Amino acid sequence: MSTLYRHWEIIDRARTGKFMEEEDFLPKHFSPTLKKLIKKYEIKYDPKNPSPTDDAMADRIWQAAWDLFREVGYYNTDSHRIIEVTDEEIKEALYMASDQYVVGGGKDARVMRHRSVEDPEPPFCIMSPDITVDEKYHQSMCMAYLKEPLLDGLCGPILEETFGHLIESGGPTEISGCIQHIQNQKMAARLLGRPDTFMVAVGTAEHDSGQIAVSNDEWGVQKTDARLVGSLTEFKTADTLLNRSLHYAQYGCYTGNLTGAIYGGWCGGSEGTAITTVAYSLIGLVIHGAMFNQHFPFHLNYVSNTTRELLWPISMAGQALSRNSNLLYTSNGFANAGPMTEMLFREVAVHAMVSTVSSWHLWEMASTRNKYRNRATPLEARLGCEVGHAVARQKMSREQANEIANKLLAKYEDHAADAPMGSEYHECYDTAKAVPTVEHMDMFRRVKDEIAQMGVEFPY
Amino acid sequence: MSLEKLSKLVEAGEAEETKVLTEQLLKDGIDPLEMIETLTKTMAHVGELFAKLDIFLPEIMLSGEALTEAVNILAPYLAASGGREIKGKVVLGVVKGDLHEIGKNIVKLILETNGFVVKDLGYNVDSLTFVKEAESMEADFIASSSLMTTTMPRQLEIIEILKSKGIRDKYKVVIGGAPTSQLWADKIGADLFCYDAKSAPELFTAILADK
Repeated sequence: MSTLYRHWEIIDRARTGKFMEEEDFLPKHFSPTLKKLIKKYEIKYDPKNPSPTDDAMADRIWQAAWDLFREVGYYNTDSHRIIEVTDEEIKEALYMASDQYVVGGGKDARVMRHRSVEDPEPPFCIMSPDITVDEKYHQSMCMAYLKEPLLDGLCGPILEETFGHLIESGGPTEISGCIQHIQNQKMAARLLGRPDTFMVAVGTAEHDSGQIAVSNDEWGVQKTDARLVGSLTEFKTADTLLNRSLHYAQYGCYTGNLTGAIYGGWCGGSEGTAITTVAYSLIGLVIHGAMFNQHFPFHLNYVSNTTRELLWPISMAGQALSRNSNLLYTSNGFANAGPMTEMLFREVAVHAMVSTVSSWHLWEMASTRNKYRNRATPLEARLGCEVGHAVARQKMSREQANEIANKLLAKYEDHAADAPMGSEYHECYDTAKAVPTVEHMDMFRRVKDEIAQMGVEFPY
Repeated sequence: MSLEKLSKLVEAGEAEETKVLTEQLLKDGIDPLEMIETLTKTMAHVGELFAKLDIFLPEIMLSGEALTEAVNILAPYLAASGGREIKGKVVLGVVKGDLHEIGKNIVKLILETNGFVVKDLGYNVDSLTFVKEAESMEADFIASSSLMTTTMPRQLEIIEILKSKGIRDKYKVVIGGAPTSQLWADKIGADLFCYDAKSAPELFTAILADK
C-alpha cells in the first residue's frame, strides 16, 4: 500500500520544519553532507566496469542514501523549511511498501513486481519518447508506441501547441493541451484494441492545474493509470509539487516519483549520483507515497546517461535498491544520438542491458538529449525492451553484461559530445500508418544482429 | 605568500584563507589590479575545468565564493584607480512557471567571474518583472532561462512587453535553457541563443560589441 497515511504529517513539516534560506540549502547542507557520506562509506567509482559486481559497495550506497535523506531532509522552496524524517518512519514506510502492483485494466492489466539483481523475469517496459511533438503527429506517435508488442505502459509525447495555440504553463492553454494529450493517447489505445493499457500521463502538464484537469475515469487519466511528481534539483520540492502527490492519492491513481540526479551538478561525480538516486527512491516512498520511482540520472553537459560515468551509478543504485528494499523503480534512458542512427540503437541497448541485470524496470527512450521536437521514435524503445527481455530470460550475469557494454561503448562513447541528431519521427516513420520505414527497420535489424553476435539471445 | 598561492586558494575554494592572504598581499604592497588580473585568469582556468567536468558544481561554486571574498577586499582600491572593468550589466532569471534554476545559477557564476554585473531575479519570474528590473538597473541584457517547453512562451512574452513599451532596442534579449534553440531564438526575435554556460561571456561580449 501507499504510505500516504502520513501525508498530512509530512505536509505539516513543510510548514513547521527547520528554516533555511534556499541559497544555503545545496552548497552548505546537501553537498557537504553528501561529500562526507561518500568518504565515510568508501564509495568509489570504477570506470572500467559500467556493470559492476560489488555487492558490499551496493549495500554501503544504500546506507549512505538512507543517511543522506535523514540528515539533509527535503526542502520546500515555498515555505523555506526542511521536511525531516526519522529512521523509524523510513523503516515503517519500507515495511508497508508493496513489492508488486497490478496496473492497467481488464485484459490489458499487468503486474509490476520488485526485481532482483540478475532476475530472470523480464522487466516491466514503459515506453516513452519523453519529448515534444508537433500537434499533427501526436496521435500517430501514440499509436506507433502502442503497436509495440513489449509495451507494458505508455507515457505519451508532450504537446507544445493545442489547436494552434502555444501551450503556456499555468494558463488555460495548458489545461486544454493536457485534455487533448490524454484523449489522443486513450483514443489510440482504443483504436489499437488495447483500451485499458497502463498509462503514465500527462507529460504536457508542467503545472499542477494541468494534471488535476485530466483526472477522470471516463475520458481522462484513470485510477488504473499513474501520474508523476517531480523534484527540484536536488532534494527540493514546492507546494505545486506537493499538490500533485496529494491530488493523485485523493483521486486514487498510482503515483510515480520522477527524479534525475545530475552528474556534475550538486551531486558531484558518479558516487554522489548513485547515492542521490537511491535516496530519491526513499523520498518518493516517504514524502510522496509513490508506488514506483522513475529515475533518469543524467550528465550535466550531455543531458544523457548512456556513457560509463552514468551507467555505473545506474547499475549501483539498482543493485543497492534491490538488495535492501522491495521497491519498484524504472530506469529512464537518455541518449545522445537521434532517431535512425546506429549510435542511438547501441546506446539504448547498453542502457537497457545494464539496467535490467541491475534489477531495474525499463523506461525507454529519450533520444537526442531529450531536447528536440519530433526526435524520438518507438523503434529505439523496441530495441531497448527486446534487449531487456533477452538478457533477463537468458539469466545474463553482470559480468557478461559488463563485457558486452564495454564492447558497445567502444563504438559510441567518444561521440557523446558530437552525436548525430538523426531524423525526425515523420522522416523515419509512415505517420499515417504509424509504422517504421523500410530504411529504419533495416538499420534496426542490422544493429540487433550485431548485438546478438555479442551474446544477447533475443527470443525472436 | 604570493599571487600564485592566492590563485591556488581561490581554485581550491578556500574562502577564509583567500580573505586573509588578500589582505596580507595588499599590506605587502602588491598592486590590486595585478591581483584581480591573476584571479580572473584563475577563474577562467576553473571554468575550463568545470566545462570538462574535471571538477563539479560544488567546487566551482566554492571557487566563486573565494573570489568574491578577494574582490570585496580589493574593490575600494580598484575604484580609486578607475575600478574593475565592467563588461556589461545583466538581468537574469528563470521564466514564470518554471522552478528549475541550476543552469541559470551556473551562467550567473560564469558571467560574474568574467566581469559582468548580474542581477539574479531567481526563478518563476513574471515577464514584466524582467523588464522593470532591466529598466531599474539600466541593464544591457535581459537573459531568461526556461527548462520546460511549456514555459518557453514566456521568453516571447518578455520581447512582446518590450515592444509594447517601445523599448525593444534598448536591450539585448538572451534566451537559454535545455529545450531552447537557435530556431526558437529566431522565431521569437531574441538577439542571442546562449547554448551553454561556458560560452556565455564570449557570446555576451561579442553581441554587445555589435550594439
